[in-house]
Parts: sequence; C-alpha cells; structure tokens
Amino acid sequence: MNIWADTVALSRMQFALTAIFHMLWPVLTTGMGIYLVIVEGLWLKTRNSDYYYHARFWAKLYVLNFGIGVATGLPMEFQFGTNWAPFSEAVGDFFGSILGFEAAMAFMLEAGFLGIMLFGWERVNPKIHYFATIMVAFGANLSTFWILAANSWLQTPAGGEVVNGKFIVDDYFQAILNPFMFISVSHMFFATLETSLFVIGGISAWYILNHRHAEFFSRSLKIVVAVAIAVTPLQIYIGHLSAEQVAHYQPTKLAAMEAKWETSPAGQPADWSLVALPNNKLERNDWEISIPNGLGYILEFKKNLSEPVLGLKEWQPDDRPKMVGLVYYSFRLMSGIGFFLAGLMGVSVIQWLRGKFAPEAIAQQKWLLRTWLLAAPLGYIAVESGWIVRCVGRQPWVVYGQIRTADGVSNLPASEVLTSLLIFAGVYTTLFICAMFFGSRIIRQGPNLELSVPGIENQPAVETEPAEFIPDQRPVEAQQ
Amino acid sequence: MENLEHFLTQVWFVILALFLFLYVMLDGFDLGVGILSLTSSSEERRGILMTSLGNIWDANETWLVLMGGALFGAFPLAYGTILNALYIPIFGMIFGLIFRAVAFEFREHSTNKVFWNLAFGVGSFMAALFQGFALGSVLEGIAVDEAGHFVGSIWDWLDWRSILVALTLIQGYVLIGSTYLILKTEGELQATHYRTAKLAAITTLIGAILITIVTPVVYENARAKLFHQPEVYIFALIPLLGVVLIGLLLRSLNQKAEATPLVWTILLFLLTFVGLGLVVFPYIIPPSITIYQAAAAPSALVFMIIFIGFLIPIMLFYNIYNYIVFRGKVSGEHYSES
Repeated sequence: MNIWADTVALSRMQFALTAIFHMLWPVLTTGMGIYLVIVEGLWLKTRNSDYYYHARFWAKLYVLNFGIGVATGLPMEFQFGTNWAPFSEAVGDFFGSILGFEAAMAFMLEAGFLGIMLFGWERVNPKIHYFATIMVAFGANLSTFWILAANSWLQTPAGGEVVNGKFIVDDYFQAILNPFMFISVSHMFFATLETSLFVIGGISAWYILNHRHAEFFSRSLKIVVAVAIAVTPLQIYIGHLSAEQVAHYQPTKLAAMEAKWETSPAGQPADWSLVALPNNKLERNDWEISIPNGLGYILEFKKNLSEPVLGLKEWQPDDRPKMVGLVYYSFRLMSGIGFFLAGLMGVSVIQWLRGKFAPEAIAQQKWLLRTWLLAAPLGYIAVESGWIVRCVGRQPWVVYGQIRTADGVSNLPASEVLTSLLIFAGVYTTLFICAMFFGSRIIRQGPNLELSVPGIENQPAVETEPAEFIPDQRPVEAQQ
Repeated sequence: MENLEHFLTQVWFVILALFLFLYVMLDGFDLGVGILSLTSSSEERRGILMTSLGNIWDANETWLVLMGGALFGAFPLAYGTILNALYIPIFGMIFGLIFRAVAFEFREHSTNKVFWNLAFGVGSFMAALFQGFALGSVLEGIAVDEAGHFVGSIWDWLDWRSILVALTLIQGYVLIGSTYLILKTEGELQATHYRTAKLAAITTLIGAILITIVTPVVYENARAKLFHQPEVYIFALIPLLGVVLIGLLLRSLNQKAEATPLVWTILLFLLTFVGLGLVVFPYIIPPSITIYQAAAAPSALVFMIIFIGFLIPIMLFYNIYNYIVFRGKVSGEHYSES
C-alpha cells in the first residue's frame, strides 16, 4: 500500500511528527520550573544575589521554550478532532474530560501566573512573586499528571467498557487511577526533571569550560548534581517498574521491545537480546547478540522465569506492532541513556567529594565538564525514545485491546492530510532551527549581572559604623 | 431523569459559551492588536504594542485550549464532527497562532525584526480570518448523516457568506484591539487608535447590518426561528441595542474617553454573542444535531462540573489579578528588563 495515499498512515505520521517536536519544549520547561523554584527559594532564604541572577538568567531560556511549547502544543489538542473524529467520539466522555481538566487546572494556572513570574519582579512583593513561580511550576507538573493519566488510560483502559464502539465509563476514578497511571506519571515527572537538570548542567559546564563566570555557574552545577544524585537512580528503578507493568498488561509491546518472536515458557531461563536485526516478514531476527539467561534476571531478578514471556508469533500479524525494530532500538537507546546519566552523576559526586568542585578547581575538570556538555541533549533523546516505545509499541491499538487505530481516523482525503503534514514538517523544522539559534544566542550573551536586585537598593553595600551614619535627607517617597 | 440530563447538558452549553466568549473577547483584543501592528510606523511602536500583550497573550489563548478540551469532554460528537468539517480553517488558525506566538520571543532576540514583525501581524490576521470562516460555516450549518458524522466536502466552509462573517469578525477584533490600546497607551499612539477605533466601529457596524439582513433571508431555519412569536421581539431588540451601543461607543471616542470605549465594545461583543447563541440554541451542529444528541453521558457531565465548574471562579480570579498587577499605561518597550 502506498502510505502517501493512506489517510491512517498520514494522520499517524502527522500526530507523531507534531508530538515529537512539541515534546522538546515542555519537557524542558516542566523540569526547569522546579529548578527556578529552587533558586528563587535559595535567593529568598540567603539573599545572595547570585541566586537572583540565576533565577533571571534561566527564566530567559524558560520563556523561550515556553512560548514555542504553547505554539506547538495547540495542534496536539485539535488534531484529536480534526484527524481522529471517530476516536474522539468514542472516548470523549473520559479522554476529552481529562484534556479539559488539564487546560482548566494546569495549563491555565501556568499561563495565568507566567506574566507575573516573568515581568512582575518590580510590581509585586517577593513573596507573591515566589508564589507565582511556584504556581507556574506546579501547573506544568500538573499538566504532566493529566496528560499521562489520559495516555495511560489509552494503554490500560479501565473504569468501563466499549459498547457499540463507544467507551462507556462506569467509574471515573477507576479510569483515572488506571493500572499504568501512577508509574507512568512518575516516570515522566522524573524524565522532565532529569532532562532539565542535564541541560542546565551542560550549559553551566560550557561556561566553566570557557572561563566565563566560572564561580557563578559552579553554583548551578552543584544544585544540579545535588538534585540529580537522587533522580538518576530513582528514574532507572521507576523505568524498571514500568517495564514490569508492560510485561504484565501489554505483552505485545514487551515482545516488540525485546524483538522476541518465540515464547519462552515458565520455569525455564531465557536469553536477553542485546543487539538484533528484526525481520518482520520472516518473523525472526536476522542477526542477534544475546546474553544467556538474561531475561529472567532483568524481569524478575532470578534465572528462571516464573511466568511465560510471550513471543510476537502468539498473535496474528494484525494484532501486534509492525515496527518492531523501531520499538526495540528506541527502548535500548532510552535505557542506555538512563544508565549513562546515572554513571555520570556517580563520577561527578565522587569528584565533588574529592573537593574538585571548588570554584578555583572546577575549571580543571575538563573531561568531566565536556561529558556534561555532551550529556545535555541526551535527556531529550531518551524522552523521545521512551514515547516511541510507549505509543508505537501499543499499535495497532489506539485504546489498547479495545479500539483499533485504523477505526479512529477521520474521513478525510489523503491529499489534505498530506498537505497539512508537509506544512507541519516545514513549520516545525523552522521553529526547531530558530529555537536552537535564539537559544544559543541567549546562552552566548550570558547572565546579566548588572540588574538591580529587588529589595537590595535600601541596604548599605558596606557595613557602616553608627558614627559614620549620615541621615537620608531625601523626601520620604524617594527613600522607598 | 430526563429533566436532569437536559439540565446538565444546558449547563455545559452555557459553560462552553462562557469560555468561548472569554476567548473571543480576550484573544480578540490580543489578535486585534496584532493586526494593528501591521500599520505601525516604527519599531518602537511595535515594541509597545507587543509589550502591552506580553504578560497576558498566553493566558488569553488558554481559553481556546480550555474551550476545546471542554467541548471534547462534554460534546464529543460535536467536537469530532465540527473539527473534521473545519479541517482547513482549524489548521489555518493554528498556523496563524503558532507564528504570532513564537514572534513574541523571537522578535525580542532577533537583530533583524522584519520577519518576526510580519509573523506577528500576519499570524494574528490569519488566526482571526480562519476563526471567522469557522464561525461563518458553523452558523450556516454542517452537512452530517443521521448519526451526526460529517459527510460534506472539505471546502464546504468557504463561500461568500462565511467571507462576510470573517471580514466582520476581523473588524470586530480590530475595534476591541484599538479600544484596548486607547486604554494602555498615551500620546500620539493613543491618538492613532482613536482613529482606528472609529473606523473599525463603522466597518463592524456595516458588517453586522449585512449579516443581520442576510441571515433570515438566506437561511430557512433561522428565518422560522427569528420570526416566531414572541421571540421575534427579543431578536428585534438585539440589533436595536447594538445600534445604541455603537452610538455610545462613537460618542465616547469623540470625547476622548480612555476606558469607556473598551467597555462599550465589550458590551457590543456580549450582545452579539447572546444573539448568536439564541439563534443557534439548542443546536450544536446546526442545522440538525442538538446539544442533547451530542452530549456526553450524564455521569461525564457531572464529573466535569466537579473538576472544571468549581475552578471557573478561581481561574477568573487569578486572571483578573494578572490584569490588576499590570494595570496602567505601557511606557517603554519592556515591562521590565529581562
């Protein structure tokens, strides 16, 4: 079949393209919001202006990403109606409500307080400003919660059943608390945080390597390390729990993630494939390196499987994912990055404990700083790969086991979808290039350390003895 | 039970109408300022125009996202059918909104601002134009089968009547954008927008008169409804009130009032909106699918009221607070250095 004349394939491509591009921006702002809360909190607590300048500097990158995130996110919501009208009608009662909650609770909160966070420094008092920053970060993370709750429900639909092609919900709370929800929300929460931390850490490393504000940016690097020391191992653990859930609830996805064609029975060991060349036509891997008895250790930390792991051949070709290689390698890429970042974190902690992070010593850690710089984009790649595993892996279902993707597509001429797809590809590529260009311009400019700090003007720069005290003779208004 | 179902459905129709109205009013002045920026003579002026929106454009646009989500949840059939039918206008609007949204940031950091100025102005214009097409074609009616699924052609939305609606909506946005700028600016810039407001008031009036005449003449369904006793008196009252409001608006513009032009314009928007709502009700996919046929299950409507309905006052509160924090004239290119 010619995919350029197939509305289903084109609509899927359009959704995938917009989602993959859109994800690049909120993934940073969601995690960076928490970072901004941390530095502004440190500023309020210590009154050290460096933290204030950190808040102002990173907020510049924040707002750039936020603006593009909003712009590229808009089509995501509308595509459900334009390209997936039968799907929207079938699941609107639940899925649509959740998108409504996301807008009302999360997105509106973030948007409503963003103006104050960005432009309100001189207009509201610092506590209200801090409240606004917290609301922005909270709103963004609440978005993660609702979007992941909705997506998890598509993976493990709960709380009702399909009657005459429409999903009738009996219990909304059971639907929200669907089996995947909690682990998925946590995995994504830590993914956004980890991505942002390594972006902030990588940029900080770049400044230190270039001998620009080395002391200033060693502060941000230390904050990053202090937070990421807990995040990176935890994320690997949550990822593991997530894979266990996939094994239990979505056996076709697990089989694709492992490029496993034949079933491994219970009570026996099974090999774990490290690299392979899956062949969808012949239903086998053309070539493979595998670790003997590895699968049992990975899934259950023991040699013999207690439950069988089903191979793809257990299902008809129409009931299992087609893009096995993509899912298989995306999964390996994501997990590999997770371990790499945890390793980098371990090394950094050791160096910090050895005193190598002191402002005068840090610039000598060239190889470590270069690795941090290299690690800056890895979080994004891991997040994208993870979503590919999640959403390509659940095919051919849009609602796993209940509604097929092909049955959810709008009745549209393929040529129209192709046109919009091409425009999206052009516009989003342009936006990506512009984001990189203007983002790197902001980074090259560096922080503005000359900004006046709110509340500082009235304090004397140097401690003065009472004897030297000169009364302020300006009018009362000017003293404020 | 049936009464309760009807009541819940009507509650959601009203909530959606509220979201749509807030969107049209708030992003209306936003888009209007964007369109007006095309006429700005200098970078400094454009800077002031964009600064006057910097803290709120995003919150204003969020009402559209909220409206979309609420329509999806409360009336899934209408969401699917209308968006499917309006494929081209929806994406036209979205691409317009994308360009104007990124222009805020990119213009700020760019050394050659010409392209982003155009992206802002033309993006605003495109968004307004395609919203007008969408509105026009929903008012005209959408071709559906018995189950309410779209069966028309992908170009159904385009004809002379939807063009008339689109042009009028653009004029309306320019009007509300001008009156917003009268409130937010001073001096020569303010003087310019007294002129654009007056011009837009007159063109909007002409468009509104044409639409008022065309609607009952061309559409059989609307005619039957509009001339039915006793509603005919209400429908006759709306254009009369509209003319009165335009009179008050023009008078306040002549008196160089600063805040009242915006107030009269908002009331004019509200009046038009109520009028359109009465013409459409109880249909949500005119001319055949009612809100009751397109509604989600009652349990979904209750569930959504619990999570969204109670948030409405809170959302309104912090949005209003945002306007209070940034009240007053926009003086320079920036609210504060960033």
